[in-house]
Order: sequence, then structure tokens, then C-alpha cells
Amino acid sequence: MTSSPALTAAPTQTVQAFLDALARRDVEAAIAVVDPQASVTVHPLGVAGTGAGLLRNVLDDLVRAFPDLLISVGRVITTGDVVTALFKVEGTQGTDYAGAMNQEKHLDIDQAWRFVVTDGAITQVTAYWCQQQLYRRLAVKRFDEIAIA
Amino acid sequence: MTALDTRPRTAESAGEVVTEFFTRYRAHDVNAMTDLCAINAAFSYVPVELWGKQRVLRGDGTVGTIGKPLWTGLINSFPNLTNTVRTITANDEGDVVVEADIAGTQQLAWGLIAPAGKDYSEPHLFVFHVGADLLIDSITAYWNDAGISQQLGHNEVD
Repeated sequence: MTSSPALTAAPTQTVQAFLDALARRDVEAAIAVVDPQASVTVHPLGVAGTGAGLLRNVLDDLVRAFPDLLISVGRVITTGDVVTALFKVEGTQGTDYAGAMNQEKHLDIDQAWRFVVTDGAITQVTAYWCQQQLYRRLAVKRFDEIAIA
Repeated sequence: MTALDTRPRTAESAGEVVTEFFTRYRAHDVNAMTDLCAINAAFSYVPVELWGKQRVLRGDGTVGTIGKPLWTGLINSFPNLTNTVRTITANDEGDVVVEADIAGTQQLAWGLIAPAGKDYSEPHLFVFHVGADLLIDSITAYWNDAGISQQLGHNEVD
């Protein structure tokens, strides 16, 4: 973690900086407030491991697949060092995503991301959303044939 | 812990109410679960949506009108339904965030999923709000329904 204003920020401010960066589709700025050894779990994608790079891949895939990505934050709830963000992800598919071929469908998915913040950096991220809703919106018919429209 | 709990609302007491909620859920006592909720407590199970030809039914409403029937149906379809609370954090404003695994073995149809005796276990994130009277006045939950469908052997997105 290089020096950053976020290092001294409160947990809410750190997560807000992450969300603001994601809303700007600025993945590097989002990752700048994530500890390099952060624990990353993205349940719907089956992603679980350690390292900011893991999260960077998840965000890169999202931003690339939905060039008009819109993040609308509904609530940010702070409970000690844990910050939970409830937001909607919207966009029009521009490339394949999560195995689903691009049919230029519109996505709108409510998500909940739980962050743990330590010393101004995000040290744990756990993301929840419904992949069934996501596939439904991208016109995927079967889980065992995701790439077949 | 009763609906007449007179303790002040703090992070600790709000967290205890929600912990008790999951204890009662494990006991399959839906009435006791709703006893911990305000009469018009808001309810939203975000992944729940049934697409019909002309409308979409969503898991949004109140605990009494949507939550209670949904919990009852879930327990009927998964008679050994259980939960494991992984994390619980709260603040003095009554917000309580819970990570819990919900698990069970399917014995009856659940939505469009035919029973095949299969097990599922899926991580959930719950956001509760506990009012100043120590009654839950809002429940919102997120999870990946695709995970449940696939574990139960249902491969159609629906």
C-alpha cells in the first residue's frame, strides 16, 4: 500500500472513495484504497482468495463488459470497522461477461458489498448479488449452457 | 427477550435481538421470529423475483405479508433448514449486518425447483434495522439464487 490520503480516513470515507472511483469506472483509483493483501470473496463469481489483484480482475471485467456502467449507491452502513454498501449496478453489455455472450442486453442488479477497513485501507471485501438475476437479464437460459443464447 | 424489551437500543442490544431472530429461525418458530419484528416491518429478499408473462412478482413487502409466508414455505420445503451466523456487526443507530449461511435438504417443491432430495448451503447477507423499541423494523437480504438452484439440480435460469 503506497501512501495515500485514504490511509488516515475513517472506514466510511475509505469505502466511499472506492465506490466513487468505481462509479467513475476508474479501477486503479478504486484499487488504490485496497490493501495489497486484502481478502476478496465475490460469491456469485466463485472468487475467493487474497490480493488486490483478484479484486482488480473482477472490477476490470465489469467495467470492460459494461462500457456505460452506472453505479447508484443506495445506502452505506457503518458498523465499527465494517462498512456495508448497498448499490445498483446498471449497464448495457458490450462484451462477454461471466461466461455470458454479448447480446447487448441491459443489466440492473442490486448488490451488497461488505468491506472491512483497517488503518484506512480495505482489508476484506465480500460481495453478494444474485447471479440468476444477472443471467436472466443477459438472456442466458441455462446455467449449464451459459454461453449459448 | 420479548416485544416489551425496555432496554435502551445500543449496538449490543440491537445485535442481541438479531441473534435471537436467527436462533428462532433455526428452531423453525416463525411466529416467534415475527414477534421480534414491528407490525409493519419492511421486508425485501432482493433475489426473489418470479417472472410471469405480464408482471414480475418480487420478494418485497412487509414481514407479515411476504416474510412470514416465505419463511414458512421455505421450512416446509426444507424441513431441516438451518442457519449458521458467520459475522454480525451493529451500530447504536440500530443497523445490524449479518453474514449467515442458510442450508437445507429439499423435500418439497420450492418455486420452480422440483424436489430431488438435494442439499444446499448458500452464503447470505442480511441488513436489519432495529427500532428504538428493540423491534426489527426492516429486513433486507442478498444471496446468489443461482448457487441454490444449481446445488438443487435445477439448471434453468427461469
